Amino acid sequence: MTAKALLQFDTPIMTVVLNDPDRRNALSHQVFDDFERCLDEVETAIDSESCHVLRIRGEGPAFCAGFDLEAMANGALPSFLERLGAICRRLRHLNAVVVAEVHGPALAGGCALVSACDIVHAGPDAAFGYPVHRLGISPAVSLATLVPGTSPGAARALTLSGEFLDANAAVRIGLAAAAHPDRAALADAVTTLCDRLAAMDAPTLSATKRFQNELDGTFDADVFARSLAASLATADSEEFEARIEAVMMMKRTSGA
Amino acid sequence: MNTIDLDTQLVTLTTEGAVATLTLNRPDARNALSLEMIAAMEAGLEKIESGLEGVAVVILAGAGKSFCAGMDLKAVQDDPILMGDMLRRLAAVSRRIRRLDVPTIARVQGAAIGGGCGLMVVCDFSFAHPEAKLGYPEVDLGICPAVVAPFLVKRIGAGRARAMLLAGGTMGGQAGFEAGLATHLVPMDELESASTAFAQRLTKGGPEAIRATKRWLNELDGSLDDEQLSKGAEISAELIQTEDAQARLRTLFKR
Repeated sequence: MTAKALLQFDTPIMTVVLNDPDRRNALSHQVFDDFERCLDEVETAIDSESCHVLRIRGEGPAFCAGFDLEAMANGALPSFLERLGAICRRLRHLNAVVVAEVHGPALAGGCALVSACDIVHAGPDAAFGYPVHRLGISPAVSLATLVPGTSPGAARALTLSGEFLDANAAVRIGLAAAAHPDRAALADAVTTLCDRLAAMDAPTLSATKRFQNELDGTFDADVFARSLAASLATADSEEFEARIEAVMMMKRTSGA
Repeated sequence: MNTIDLDTQLVTLTTEGAVATLTLNRPDARNALSLEMIAAMEAGLEKIESGLEGVAVVILAGAGKSFCAGMDLKAVQDDPILMGDMLRRLAAVSRRIRRLDVPTIARVQGAAIGGGCGLMVVCDFSFAHPEAKLGYPEVDLGICPAVVAPFLVKRIGAGRARAMLLAGGTMGGQAGFEAGLATHLVPMDELESASTAFAQRLTKGGPEAIRATKRWLNELDGSLDDEQLSKGAEISAELIQTEDAQARLRTLFKR
């Protein structure tokens, strides 16, 4: 079976590719398994001091469409929230600069991943947002990194409204560092950036990132725990059960 | 115009009406921050802090083609301990500028790089022009920009600061304005007149109201947090003293 998340090495650059294009890289049991395995290897590669840049991208039309609906309908939501929160914390605490290359939608859990990265570049078809309230889920798990990454006001609007932002709007609120006119320009810019970072000193970047984490409060594991707890509080609600059931019913009826 | 004697030529302090101007005056070195330069700034700040009569606004300026090209590390290249001390003293100077109880305006022409860009964003307002060269290339040189990070975060937000400091490099004045480094962008030939006119406008505000507002803003955004600001300086100072950083700097200076 093909891995649903792949790790490639071009020392000192590592690339994680979310690799479930037919399901728009939705976070399923298997995508989580493989993503976590990649991060284990990433941490090992960093500790052996050979690598200090991590690029993350998605295969196919989307960066990541959020949690896999079917798994959620079958009781996976609490564990998915925990796994997502843990991955965000790991990305933030990695001794490597994490660069997200976002083409296509990065929604809900996908947007949470993006907010945990250090530098985000977006393509023309990128979309960012949290359309999860209709499912009765709180996107609070993302707030540990989204609030400091953008601003309290922008994070509030994005997570409460369920609206989508395009690449330029993401740059305006600080979620993305740059927007690019086409997919090739996006890939080129991210390659150039990663090469630049690769040429820098690992200890310098690491010290800089660590102090950034301290300044914006993401050094603290507690902020991730509290963010997660706020989302988990909604995970076993009757509201969620009823809404996910309704969504699945509609999917079945429409033959999707 | 009044000139206030500072016992040094490296920085000048003048007043005109309610506007004081502190000018970095080492134009042949693009106002790079040497130890002597930092000491001269301390002298200037001491005068301002001790109360210049009727002064309601301070402009921070640089003589010559550039505002400030950053730390003059080459001058102390054989002394890593001294480099660390310079970073600590620059951090202290930045903190004092931030806590002046009158509004501050950086008037930035040409380059404001590294520590120079740090001085630019520590001011309440920054005027720049489209051809200016701004940014934090510290990581490119193997230096950790922790000393400037706190005020950059306060200026442009933590997410943007993260991307900017980790990617290094420099940018033009237009991009710097869009990123929020500069609060005002004007044509080069209007830089002096526009920033002076803006300073004059600020002097019309109620001094007590402005002082209270600035103090509260400083409290809200952590500008009074000595521990955090000192920590930034310590991180930068410690890293610059490592053998890796020193080796990288030596290679750089040989070019």
